[in-house]
Amino acid sequence: MNFLVGLANGFTGIVSAGGENLVGLITGILPNVLILLTMINALIALIGEDRVNAAAQKLTRFRIARYTIIPVVALFFFTNPMCYTMGRFVEEDLKPATIDAIFTMAHPITGLFPHGNPGELFVWMGIATGYTTLGISTTPLAIRYLIVGIICCFVRGCVTEIVTNVMLGREKKAK
Amino acid sequence: MKPVVKVVHGPNGWGGPFTLTETETQTVVASITGGGIHPIAERIAELLGVPAVDGFKNKVEPENMIVAVVDCGGTARCGVYPKYGVKTIDVIPIGPSGPLAKFIHEDNFCSGVLVEEIQLVEGDEALQASVEADVEAAVLASEPSASAKFAAEGSKVAKDAAEEEEKQGGFVGMIAGMGKAVGGVVNTFYQAARDSLDIIIRNIIPFMMFISVIVGIINYTGIGNILANVIKPLAGSLPGLLILSIICSLPFLSPVLGPGAVIAQIIGVLLGNEIGKGTIPTQYALPALFAINAQVGCDFLPVALTLAEAEDATTNIGVPAILFSRLITGPITVVIAFLFSFGM
Repeated sequence: MNFLVGLANGFTGIVSAGGENLVGLITGILPNVLILLTMINALIALIGEDRVNAAAQKLTRFRIARYTIIPVVALFFFTNPMCYTMGRFVEEDLKPATIDAIFTMAHPITGLFPHGNPGELFVWMGIATGYTTLGISTTPLAIRYLIVGIICCFVRGCVTEIVTNVMLGREKKAK
Repeated sequence: MKPVVKVVHGPNGWGGPFTLTETETQTVVASITGGGIHPIAERIAELLGVPAVDGFKNKVEPENMIVAVVDCGGTARCGVYPKYGVKTIDVIPIGPSGPLAKFIHEDNFCSGVLVEEIQLVEGDEALQASVEADVEAAVLASEPSASAKFAAEGSKVAKDAAEEEEKQGGFVGMIAGMGKAVGGVVNTFYQAARDSLDIIIRNIIPFMMFISVIVGIINYTGIGNILANVIKPLAGSLPGLLILSIICSLPFLSPVLGPGAVIAQIIGVLLGNEIGKGTIPTQYALPALFAINAQVGCDFLPVALTLAEAEDATTNIGVPAILFSRLITGPITVVIAFLFSFGM
């Protein structure tokens, strides 16, 4: 009997610990995310896809813009997974590198703009919760996450571009 | 044979595509948009060779409508015509909403339609569409009660609109124009709010529940303490994080670790827990964010390349190129993040 009581107590303990955590998430994070999502979704609808596409098309020619601005614009305006359609504006050989750069932005964007990838928030939010628990503001971390993210997009874009070119070169030689 | 027109939804729109054609009973394009006949109604009517009718000024029986063009922001009108079996085009890009949302389906509703995307259909597809339309029209005509009820509603709306029309012009016209513009912005925000709630309910809250279950188990059972001992050497030092990033970016592991970023998210939550307890110093948060995610998107490469309209040859080279690149760039991103984490 004691064993059963212990088991039931343990189980209830897990449930209430989980429930407490859920209430914390829903009251702490959810309202802000909802308001932010609404504002940014409206902004995106007001600006319009066509204008963003036209601007992006011009930017893809420059390597720096291609691996820094394009990933941010893609995630901000088109969000995961439609952001990858931005890849169609670049030359065929550059597509893998451009896609890779956009992938790299998929989570750094969520620190400040959770609408960019709302289904995968907890890569950022999981770690940020540690800061919240300690009573430290997460904003400086979010800003650094985005800045480092942009730098990493650039590095990854360039490296993938080189790797792709090497592999294409080998392919041509083999033929 | 009668011409057939195909309608697809616009960039932010929903529903469709469907085809429209004239039948024995369905003979007009109705524009219930206020302020005259909408260009979309005009264009469809022109292509079909039928009259376009202003539904506010002239009463149109629903069974005579080939299509109803409305400008409803998701409150009522958008659902009225689908309810009566009339194909509906909403010029405002909205999804199924309003009290009649349950009648709005992809085969009877299409929103955010652009004038330039309305096209004539040729050949077999057109023939099939016109046969289907005849059958639908016959079904609709055999339901007189619905149409009678609708006619009563319709005439009331038409009367109101006609009164409004008389007052227009000059100053009043300007105010009406302004009202429409404000209405457009309000509708945009309203739709944005609906979209946001949809995302929250479908994606965010379910994941929060899932995470809460895991956190509940970890915190209550003491598994957390065991996990902390494993995680601490990996996430609490630069060499550990580098090893973690290399593991995540191994070309045979990275596509497996990717889907939905679930693994990265769980590790994120575990690390956040440890940071909160003070087991892992706060300055490792930034490099850890990159270390646990060196595999980002690796499960999604072929799909993403398809979205980028890459050719097959590019995809064949691109996928291994990205996977290999990750092995190099994974640790690099951790080092960059580590350098940027000073002073946190």
